[in-house]
Amino acid sequence: MHSLCGAFGWTPAVHQQAKESVILPRKKAWSKEAVLETLASTLNRDSTAYPYQFQDDPYLSPRTATEFKLYSLAQDSGRSAARYFVNNHPKFFTKDFAEPHIPCLMPETVSLLLEEVSEEALKERITLRKVTAAVDMYDQLLQTGTAVSMETTHELLDLICLYCDRNPVQEGEAGAEEEKEGRRMTSRRGADVPRLSWTENNNAERIFYLLPERDTRCYSAVIRGMVKHGAYAKAFSVYSDMLNNRTPGDVHIFNALISAAPEVRDGYSERWDLISELLNHMKQQEIHPNLLTFNSVLKSLRQCGSLARSYSPQTLNEMKALGIAPSLASYDHILAVFYKSVSSGPSNSDVLQNLMTELEGQSFTCVDPDDVLFFSSAMKVCLDNKDLELGYRVQSLVEVGENWRLLGDSVQLSIYYGRFFNLLCMMEDVDVVLRWYKQMVPSLYYPNAQGMKHLLQALDTDGRLDLLPDIWTDMKTLGLYNRADLLEQLLGLMAGEEHSPELQEAFAVCALDVKSVFEEKAGLEWSASSLSHVTTLLLRASKAQQAWDMLKLFKAHNRIPSEALLNSFLSVCQRDGASERAVELVQLSAAFCLTSTSGLASRALAEFDLNQEQRLVLAGLEAAAGPPSD
Amino acid sequence: VSDVIQNLSFCKSTETHYAPKSGKENLLDLLGAMKVEVTNKRKLKSLKTKSESATNYAPKPSAIESTFSMFQKATAADTSSESGTLEPDLVAAASAAAATLPNSRQAESELLQQLRRRKDLTEAQKKGNDLGDIIADMKVGKKFSRQNSWPSNQIRFDEDGQGYTHDRGIASELASVRKRKKLFPSKRLNIFSPVTDKDTAESPTLWDIAFVNELSFSTNQMPRNVLEEMIQWTKEGKLWEYPINNESGLEEEVGISFTEHVFLEKHLEEGFPRQGPVRHFMELVVAGLSRNPYLTVQQKKEHISWFRDYFHQKAEVLNEADVCLS
Repeated sequence: MHSLCGAFGWTPAVHQQAKESVILPRKKAWSKEAVLETLASTLNRDSTAYPYQFQDDPYLSPRTATEFKLYSLAQDSGRSAARYFVNNHPKFFTKDFAEPHIPCLMPETVSLLLEEVSEEALKERITLRKVTAAVDMYDQLLQTGTAVSMETTHELLDLICLYCDRNPVQEGEAGAEEEKEGRRMTSRRGADVPRLSWTENNNAERIFYLLPERDTRCYSAVIRGMVKHGAYAKAFSVYSDMLNNRTPGDVHIFNALISAAPEVRDGYSERWDLISELLNHMKQQEIHPNLLTFNSVLKSLRQCGSLARSYSPQTLNEMKALGIAPSLASYDHILAVFYKSVSSGPSNSDVLQNLMTELEGQSFTCVDPDDVLFFSSAMKVCLDNKDLELGYRVQSLVEVGENWRLLGDSVQLSIYYGRFFNLLCMMEDVDVVLRWYKQMVPSLYYPNAQGMKHLLQALDTDGRLDLLPDIWTDMKTLGLYNRADLLEQLLGLMAGEEHSPELQEAFAVCALDVKSVFEEKAGLEWSASSLSHVTTLLLRASKAQQAWDMLKLFKAHNRIPSEALLNSFLSVCQRDGASERAVELVQLSAAFCLTSTSGLASRALAEFDLNQEQRLVLAGLEAAAGPPSD
Repeated sequence: VSDVIQNLSFCKSTETHYAPKSGKENLLDLLGAMKVEVTNKRKLKSLKTKSESATNYAPKPSAIESTFSMFQKATAADTSSESGTLEPDLVAAASAAAATLPNSRQAESELLQQLRRRKDLTEAQKKGNDLGDIIADMKVGKKFSRQNSWPSNQIRFDEDGQGYTHDRGIASELASVRKRKKLFPSKRLNIFSPVTDKDTAESPTLWDIAFVNELSFSTNQMPRNVLEEMIQWTKEGKLWEYPINNESGLEEEVGISFTEHVFLEKHLEEGFPRQGPVRHFMELVVAGLSRNPYLTVQQKKEHISWFRDYFHQKAEVLNEADVCLS
């Protein structure tokens, strides 16, 4: 063979290559969103744009936080209205244009089709979540003596216990989103199942006790329902019932009971004893705990006082030993335990430091509804400890992957960003603050009055008062002109010192703007300091006539101008040579019965070019107010 | 500097850890000998590697993070095991062997430790216990006192906060190195044991659906740009999948060759006459069907069989009209 190769001029290496077989790579199977996901990964967030769902009509871009909520609710209600029409009038939506067929755009069945008394009808009612109808159907089935299968009974019990024996609000699938938003405005948790209270002897209990044999799933449904809707003591009595009957439990029962433990015991150690007893029962029955078990333990530990500090880390370690990764909710509970009060010992932000080191760069998904509370609690800790570096670490964790989705709904979002911005304003240079401000506002965060106050303070500390007119325009856009204290702070900052003429001009324009805001908006009261600030600003910008109008406002709103103000007004008058006005000024001061009247009068007499009449008036005022100065 | 402090701290805590275990005098001597020696990085590294190799004997429970805790577990194994002292000639042999090495005291103590471990292991396995169970079942030590007087804790922050963060930058390095090992000691509740088998997944109940709903409501699922919106629509089935496949939705047709759509005369073999107006009509029907791209093969066959039944039913009418039906 080799000789042949030599004869044909092949080198051994080439021959070797010819002997190697060609390995075909395996065909890759891409998911159906792979192309789009790749494209989406090339896009970053545009910090100058409003959120994507509002990029339609510029008039409908939300400029304040209330507008944001209103418009997103409006969008959801539009969708649910469309859904309602499609589902309730299916006869108008029979033609199917789409190829391939799109099932989710077709009408769904929302009304009952089966009317006869049968298990099928019962199942239908359960699927359509019609609680009262299902209970009626079940009772009818029992009366006719038809046996209902165990599975259907389980589902029926689940349904009744989940909705606490009341019909859920039927507005179609997307309507739930609107309810969620609506409920968010009242209570923080957005579930489509509201927190009702468990009534005595309701249908769930009745059906439960009527059952000839009760197995794990029945007990599970009833106990979970009772805990969910507030009947904690009853849940525990059903549990002891279950133990007496030697029915095996399941993990959901224990999760519910552990979370209800602080409600049925009063002392810290009793609570912990109950929790550990439940955990031991779990172990005896060989039920494996899951993440939610440990999260309920941690959550209940929050109400166990000082015991929490010793047992929460142990719980975390237990989770890790069992190979269950803690979720953000577990860490949130840990933070709550270790940071109960602001001043809690020397090693303050160490827990969070270690935690952040551990969590660095990880991507999270939501596995527990309490996960969304983690970031705002973490930022609160950073804020309380004034730890900017830690705040940056938390923010970088938020920016990893899809973690920003775990910032929760708009309320949680504004809390988180409010705290972060507060921390920045307190601790960072104003340039960095402004950079973050441009990035976050208004695409991510609509500052409230408190946030604006922090920003103004930061500008004041670093002497960047030249940005105040721009901030004022932002404030107007954000709708923050309803707070008199905020406006007063703004005016105070502007009037604090003398600045360059252009800046004074800009400030004066702002001041006039603020004045118009005070006049237009009902419910805004002028305070003496705001009035004097505006007047000062106008004076400095040489707008004497408008300043004079301001003084009239003092009288209108029952406020007293200060001596300094009147003196500076007098100086401006002298500069302008407006002697008539000077006299009027002194008369005004007299009208207010100010003690400075005589001083003003003597000044006026001394500094101004007055005619005889004016001199007489002034002399009279000077004398009336007090003994003449000279 | 940090290494020194590290070493001191861990030795100090081993001391506090083992104070109550006064019964094991020999072990204490060994550990005491070890403690004196560690003064530089190399020795610490060797200690660490030794403790790692020692614990390789025993099956580790999952998720042990720092070598410190590993060492702690390993040494705790010694204390809880029931073996007695090592035989004196073993000890003598160990010291003789150690004498040949450059750092004899250190080497001797390490050798003795190793011997002790191996002895424990053999004894345990003789008794039939898994060393892993021993390690898993024991409670690993009590908590260390967290209130060591770290100099970094004495730094209080200034009013403006800026000064604090500066100092923090240096001290936090030290602090984090130390604190990580101390803050959450590895004590656990010890109620459950790790399980390897997974429970069978049940079909989702109403509770599961409600829970998943709650999760999706609490997070922010809104798309951030048009591409994310298109991804959501693709998942819901409202949008064609990229790269576009013209035949998506027509998967069943992929397996059926065109001959079955076009050459339909074979269906006319039976049930229809070979000649005459009926045949002519049916040939026209077949010609039309073969050009129809909208019906499936099954539908075409049904079409033709409908005609077959129809003509069979109307046999009398056709006979009266003298059409032969052979």
